[in-house]
Amino acid sequence: MIAGSRLAASRRVSGIAGVVLTGFCSALAAGLLIVILGYVVVQGWSAINPAFVTQLPHPVGVSGGGVANGIVGTLIIVALATLMAVPVGVLTGLYLAIYGRGLPAECVRFLAEVLSGVPSIAIGLFAYTILVQPFRHFSGLSAAFAFAVLMLPLMIRTSEEAIRGVPTAIREGALALGLPDYGGVIHVVLPAARPLIVTGLLLAIARVTGETAPLLFTAFGSQFWEVNPGNPMAALAMQIFTYAISPYDDWHRQAWGGALLLILAVLVLNIGARWALRGRTKRS
Amino acid sequence: MTRRACAALIAGFVGSAGLASLPALAATQLTGAGSSFVYPFFSKAFYTYSQAHNDVTVNYQSIGSGGGIQQFTAKTVDFGASDVPMNADELKRASGAVVQVPVALGGIAVTYNLPVTVPGGLKLTREAIVDIYLGKITHWNDPVLEKLNPRAGLPNLPIVTVHRSDGSGTTYIFTDFLSSVSKDWKDKVGTGKSVQWPGSNTVGGKGNEGVAGQVRQTTGGIGYVELAYAMENKLSTAQLENKAGKWVFCTASTVQAAASTKPSVSATDFSIVDRAGANSYPISGYTWAFVYENPTDKARAKLVRDVLTWVTGDDAQKIAASLNYVALPGTVQDTAKKALAEVKV
Repeated sequence: MIAGSRLAASRRVSGIAGVVLTGFCSALAAGLLIVILGYVVVQGWSAINPAFVTQLPHPVGVSGGGVANGIVGTLIIVALATLMAVPVGVLTGLYLAIYGRGLPAECVRFLAEVLSGVPSIAIGLFAYTILVQPFRHFSGLSAAFAFAVLMLPLMIRTSEEAIRGVPTAIREGALALGLPDYGGVIHVVLPAARPLIVTGLLLAIARVTGETAPLLFTAFGSQFWEVNPGNPMAALAMQIFTYAISPYDDWHRQAWGGALLLILAVLVLNIGARWALRGRTKRS
Repeated sequence: MTRRACAALIAGFVGSAGLASLPALAATQLTGAGSSFVYPFFSKAFYTYSQAHNDVTVNYQSIGSGGGIQQFTAKTVDFGASDVPMNADELKRASGAVVQVPVALGGIAVTYNLPVTVPGGLKLTREAIVDIYLGKITHWNDPVLEKLNPRAGLPNLPIVTVHRSDGSGTTYIFTDFLSSVSKDWKDKVGTGKSVQWPGSNTVGGKGNEGVAGQVRQTTGGIGYVELAYAMENKLSTAQLENKAGKWVFCTASTVQAAASTKPSVSATDFSIVDRAGANSYPISGYTWAFVYENPTDKARAKLVRDVLTWVTGDDAQKIAASLNYVALPGTVQDTAKKALAEVKV
């Protein structure tokens, strides 16, 4: 009896210790994130003004200027990457979820997993080797290709899961009503899976938007307006890199401003992803 | 829904094609890459140039001299820039005959970070710099340094030497200086864009900006950076004893004095370190731009030639002088013009 209550007490103590420990670690992790976000906001806030988002970078020694070309460059590169990654990613996901069986499907799944672990700098080097060196020209397009490769594993995985999540009975229902197999997939399965696919896409975009390493080999950077993806282009992440290691105080300030913009963009994308999911959970 | 998506896609493609063709008509974008030493000057000069010529923009990225030579060799850029001319091996690897043009002149300051202020700036003999980088002088209160700076009250603090981690023309000029001062250095380490740094207490930084940052963060650190980077980072610069035994700071006039002792430079005879002359600063050098002698795209090559001709002319060199570089001497401007005339466009 006495032994039993002692056991219960020691269990209660270790239980409380466990809760305290996990709570402490969570507070530490959350606190660290808040400190990072707060620091970027404090440092970057002063740099953000209308000129910062509408003007071109000024040369060294001329204060002021902005990162408008980097914002536009990032948007164009990410948009092109999305155009490349979405069809391939969704169709691969579709194959894996519905048609893929046995060894071939396992191989594709395994390769996609391996691809998601490849460092982005290696993918940048690959894009440089096949798209920059042979054409003797840095370009936004080669950067978009590198980004598309980076987005692909996440696109494949979320598409497969989204499509697998649509009950087979719904597809069978479409077939029973006389739709051909492809019709059922296009008109019934894909629309049902869309919210999850969109979520995956937004997360994939958020993942590549801040990437800098692959851009160094491909987009190259630019101080000018450049909307032609066949030419070297500016990108926000690369501008932050260049400005942060420069010897000029004004550029350091702008690097923090750029970092704040990127964080805001990723935040909006994450909120968008949650919003797209919310529509789904309501329906089901 | 599918029809709408299809229409949107087509509209997107047509739109981006339209956008793509417009700027192609508006302006040609030339690209260059290399030396970080010359980047502040190029950045300002090309901005000024594109304001006066709205048909051309020049996109220069500071990736280091080694990288500049590599991208130029791979023909991914229209011109390269390095603080040391391409050597015979590099020329052999290039895709055709190369024209090398001197475009800028600048000094390399020896900067340090000490917890005490040294009145009048730290004094270093050429031999002391060699011994510090060889790892023979390891502490700031070494008798050699105390004798040179008797009133400084140098602390008992280990010396951390900072060097460039990337292939760098600035490193070439600095090691060229050390080699010309010390046979020991020449035999043990030698001259190059990247060398095996001796001494145990040494750290690397990427680019001039990286070295400047390391020195600023490391108490007891000493490093070598292009003058503009030292000035912009408000780093303390050392006073050096030159070959004539006089004490000189790294300034426009002392770098100019060193350059004036060697009126004619070429891609094979370019070194201006450790020159004679009472006012000569011992560590300085030229930045060189590279173009192909027989370019395939003649129209582009002509634009590049026009830009470089302007860069080596008086207007652009005035911009250089305003950014802590030194305007190219007249004789070197002539060398540049002659070299550019060899480009077949």
